[in-house]
Amino acid sequence: MNNRITAKNMADLYREAANRYKSLPAFATRKKELEWDPVSFEELYERGLNLATGLIEMGVEAREHVGLFGDNRFEWILADYGVQLCGAVDVPRGRDITDSELIYIINHARIKVAFVETKALLDKFIELRHDLPGLKEIILLDPEASAPDLVHKLDNVIQLGAALRKHGDTRAEERIAGIQPDDLFTLIYTSGTTGKPKGVMLTHANMMSQVKVIPIDLNCTDRVLSILPIWHIFERVFEVFSIACGVCTYYSNVRHLADDLKNVEPTFMGSAPRLWESLYQKILKKVDKSHWMRQFLFHTAYFLSRQYMNSIYFLTGKELKQEPASKLKRIVLSPFHAVRWLLVLPVYGFFNVAVLEPVRLSAGGSLKATISGGGALPEEIDRFFNYIGIPVLEGYGMTETSPVIAVRLQDNIVIGTVGPPMENTELRIVDLETREVIYPNSNRPHKGRGVRGEICVKGPQVMKGYYREPDQTKKTIEDGWLRTGDLGMITFNDCLKILGRSKATIVLSSGENLEPEPIEMKLNQSPYIEHCMIVGQDRKYISALVVPNLEGFRDNGISAGNLEELAKKSEAKRIIQQEIKQVISVSGGFKRFEMIQDVRLIPENFTVGEELTNLFKMKRHVIQDKYGDLIDEMYNGKPVGVA
Amino acid sequence: MEFTTQLLYPVDQVLLAVMIFSIMFGMGASLTIDDFKTVIRYPRGILIGFLSQFGLMPFFAYGLAIFFELPPAYAIALILIGCLPGGTTSNMFAYFARGSVALSIAMTTASTILALLMMPILLEFYTAEFTRQISAEMQTAGSGAEFVIPTMNIIMSLVLVLVPVAMGMFLRAKSRVWAKTAEDTAGFMGIIVIIYLIGTAFVRHSGLMLQTPPAIYISAISVGLLGFLFGYWMSRLFKLSPIFQRAISLETGIQNGPIAFAIILLSFAEPVQSQMLWLAILYSTFIVMSSSFITLYYRRVGKFDFEVYKNTSIHNRLFGDEYVSDYPDGFLPKRIENDPSQGLIPAQKRD
Repeated sequence: MNNRITAKNMADLYREAANRYKSLPAFATRKKELEWDPVSFEELYERGLNLATGLIEMGVEAREHVGLFGDNRFEWILADYGVQLCGAVDVPRGRDITDSELIYIINHARIKVAFVETKALLDKFIELRHDLPGLKEIILLDPEASAPDLVHKLDNVIQLGAALRKHGDTRAEERIAGIQPDDLFTLIYTSGTTGKPKGVMLTHANMMSQVKVIPIDLNCTDRVLSILPIWHIFERVFEVFSIACGVCTYYSNVRHLADDLKNVEPTFMGSAPRLWESLYQKILKKVDKSHWMRQFLFHTAYFLSRQYMNSIYFLTGKELKQEPASKLKRIVLSPFHAVRWLLVLPVYGFFNVAVLEPVRLSAGGSLKATISGGGALPEEIDRFFNYIGIPVLEGYGMTETSPVIAVRLQDNIVIGTVGPPMENTELRIVDLETREVIYPNSNRPHKGRGVRGEICVKGPQVMKGYYREPDQTKKTIEDGWLRTGDLGMITFNDCLKILGRSKATIVLSSGENLEPEPIEMKLNQSPYIEHCMIVGQDRKYISALVVPNLEGFRDNGISAGNLEELAKKSEAKRIIQQEIKQVISVSGGFKRFEMIQDVRLIPENFTVGEELTNLFKMKRHVIQDKYGDLIDEMYNGKPVGVA
Repeated sequence: MEFTTQLLYPVDQVLLAVMIFSIMFGMGASLTIDDFKTVIRYPRGILIGFLSQFGLMPFFAYGLAIFFELPPAYAIALILIGCLPGGTTSNMFAYFARGSVALSIAMTTASTILALLMMPILLEFYTAEFTRQISAEMQTAGSGAEFVIPTMNIIMSLVLVLVPVAMGMFLRAKSRVWAKTAEDTAGFMGIIVIIYLIGTAFVRHSGLMLQTPPAIYISAISVGLLGFLFGYWMSRLFKLSPIFQRAISLETGIQNGPIAFAIILLSFAEPVQSQMLWLAILYSTFIVMSSSFITLYYRRVGKFDFEVYKNTSIHNRLFGDEYVSDYPDGFLPKRIENDPSQGLIPAQKRD
């Protein structure tokens, strides 16, 4: 049953949704735990049209770039409606934007009108006003905050438009009719892990193609919880998708997440690996603290479901296949799996009902699926949730592809991969040096499956280009093929497996190549480690910079007031070294040159905007520069300093 | 078919007593005063549930006994099972079958209390003929005794099993956390003991399984299945909402097996006791399997209407009781479009 709305452009989609879903709630805002404010599709569209008319009156042209600075809240989506319905383009960014980014984006995108969410952010704009000569009008989103002179309040602009429309103003409708599929709907500046921000130009056609092919079925009875930043395309595509399906989006945040999961009982959400990591740890912690009888029950249930699911994966061919499958092995093993499946089934049935269901309730209990994106999901966590019956699907994409390239399907869960490419999307695996196409290549054995290379994409979701950066655009898109800069391979069951970023690859002085991300991901699961970064480019061996986890140490009896104090303790360093030795070992599947030889503890946490991008990815060059001394120290053999 | 050995050894009887106690205690620990208030909130659902539990089920049991011409002791056991109140496991099955758990709990509560009144009356009514047969047999065997249904004993047994329920409720009122633990532990222990009892019974009396005539198997299985089927259609006939239909269906078919064991052990003597126990064991075994299949089936067919119900009730939970969820024309199937669910789903449009 595919009943989503397909439209020519965003404005068209918004109008269709209002026509079809009418008084159903489109968005809901939390007031108290059990008190939420709904806004219907009709009302949202009506207010959006009023805002659009108000914006036109203020002088916003079609295709003009309008700034939209703020985080998830109803007024954000209302502002987006206004911008889309007057045929303009929004340039979104979160509250945590740095001064330099703000100046760069507003000037580079030539923004004249900007929405600003809060009073605090507004103050920043006023402070920087001399660096923003082009910015003419500011509209304040927060209805509670008071606006100083010359700053418009959102409500006033809406009222202005409403009055005009009452007297027959149809300029907004005319604008909508004039939108072309190739027009931009948004211009998103990526903070990127290197260099200055780049403006990714995404068109209406880009977004509409995504809405059309997202392989999940939702309808008016579903509920979506929104926790990821809305100005990032990953969350935004799901909100637009929700509108197309008549689904209500409930705005939550990290602080209230546990409560909101229970009260809203979402059936779908976009999520990030961090959410699952923390939920995973919370569940395990709760189990560890429970009565021994419950612990026993949980472990039994988990063991059974592992046996059960693995047999199902094997029998349906859903296990990770990085090598060509041996038919003989399959024929020999299949009966054993079938027998195991049958034997486990009744007991699993009981434990699934009695023990695993309450665990599933910690994620609301109604999740039909959730797509995890924005980073790699550690395999153990991925397995854990799929075994206990919370269908975590991993997706892969980037802002430049608006964003989904591949996503695991509900009926085709191959753990360890990001699933097959989306409909209408072509994938290529290309050799990093020779640029030879590895997959699909009929001259290679198995058409090039199982060989790693750079992932390249062609499809309707690929961006128009980087705004005012023709050289960058040319470098990134060659003959319609977008170079992702990520390494991957196609498995033997035709799914994409991500193997790291080509730019992050560390080449040791011995010439060995290694990907730091899998090692870091493994270490990040330790309760003692908050963040860690592997270094060692052009060195003899690799080392690690570690931000220790204050809480993790406290839980294990080593308390410190802050990170600085903790980093100074030799005991802390010793524990971390032991932990690393235990986790990164040859028996654990790591190669000899992937052994970490030295470690330094960092006395302060990484912060978003500084060492981390807004999606919590490490900006490696920033960290390398900032802690250059520590890194040098590890390779000069002088065991002094921080630790 | 003769029972040459004892069906239950003394140790089994002790285990059975422990099981009955813990299950009934666990049932009490899951109940609150609010559950009794819910009974009053859904009068229509409860009434229809009452009709199917105490109207349909004993009648089916009687009908099966007549149709298959069951030996009198088996017939009485089957009718006894038919007259039992609903079991606590039905609540769990209702949950997974996407039925109304509240109604299921309310029905279990109401029927357990009402059983005190209804069971003696119904047993008297349906078993008269079979007790006469037993008496006649005993007379020809020359014992000279008259067989009567020990009504007083049955009432006493019922009261006795209600004691742990009351204790459980008391615990629940004192400490929620402990009540939850008691409920879980009791449920788990109950299942372990019943698996043990059924297992040992089958191993020790494997010969018995082969000797048991098919008619007895068919009756033991069908009494539950007929309950599911007619409970469903009856509530559908009365136009209850689908989540109620599924709850009533399961509640009707799933009887409180432990009470049957308690009554048989405490109120009946040989030669009928073993035969009655054997039927109760058969019923308890097969009902777990058939309810599992029915639940899987209901879960499937009820997916859509349950999602509508859930979404609507979450709207009311978050947006207030007056909020009306108005789905697009043609989105809801006729069956649930104008759902007269008596105030259960206030959000749905009613004229």
